[in-house]
Amino acid sequence: MPELPDLNPVIHGKLRLALLSLLTTVEEAEFTWLRARTGSTDGNLGAQLAKLEEVGYVAVEKKFVQRKPQTIYRMTEAGRKALTEYVQALKQLLGESINV
Amino acid sequence: MHEEMSTQDLKDRVAVIESMIAEGRRSTESWGWTFLLWGVAYYVAIGWVALGQRLAVWGGNGLAWPVTMIAAVVVTIAIAFRKDKGQPGTTVGRAIVSIWISVGISMLLLFPALSISGRIDEHAFVAIIAAVLGIANGASGMILKWRMQMACAVVWWVTSIAACFGSQAQLTAVFLSALFLCQIGFGAYAMVLESRRRRQNREAHA
Repeated sequence: MPELPDLNPVIHGKLRLALLSLLTTVEEAEFTWLRARTGSTDGNLGAQLAKLEEVGYVAVEKKFVQRKPQTIYRMTEAGRKALTEYVQALKQLLGESINV
Repeated sequence: MHEEMSTQDLKDRVAVIESMIAEGRRSTESWGWTFLLWGVAYYVAIGWVALGQRLAVWGGNGLAWPVTMIAAVVVTIAIAFRKDKGQPGTTVGRAIVSIWISVGISMLLLFPALSISGRIDEHAFVAIIAAVLGIANGASGMILKWRMQMACAVVWWVTSIAACFGSQAQLTAVFLSALFLCQIGFGAYAMVLESRRRRQNREAHA
């Protein structure tokens, strides 16, 4: 029997998984857009994004647009690879095709 | 790790991935208003030319198209800039916007040049505009897999062919009909869809 794969614990958290999934669909996204899409609180979102940044799955850029601070997040290649591997592992564990 | 997880946990994760990808793709970009705006701009230019000929006012017909088109460009840029704030860009969105910007630049350069050189008549003008709008709508429709926009492309291609034949009155009727259907009608339809989508988004997050 083939060995079952482990799921990446960083990605497995629901909000972090949601964030990475969202970021695969856009080139970059502002903090407020991610908050609106996930429906999470500022504190929780900030903490989970910081964790993703720490492991190198997302890159952060802070800038001022018309004197207002903006925090922009984009997925890194490492993040994309990790999410792909996570989905592959899920497929193996569930033993069915996942349409993602 | 997987030993402690139930199948339901894993299915929940799949549901999160699917719903978030769908959420991200449900682009927040809205462009229906540009079709409406440009449809109205074309009508204004045509009306200006027609009235100008009849009344000999507003600086003559020569100004109608350049003034209307430049005004439409300025309004488009101003509204797009305001709407774009905080919205993330998608690759698909960038592909579509680049098609329309390229089409717009081509038309803004070509038509004044043809007009100044005098190497164009009304039939060629409509045929070129319709063909170019057919290309842009066709490309956008194929990228978005949107049948309604593909139908607009077909209308423009038919208009382009029809513009090569018939009288000037027939040409005007064909062009105005295509503009109404594919700019004003399609623009209004797209805006209704966008507004419905935004409402669904709000309800989903309420």
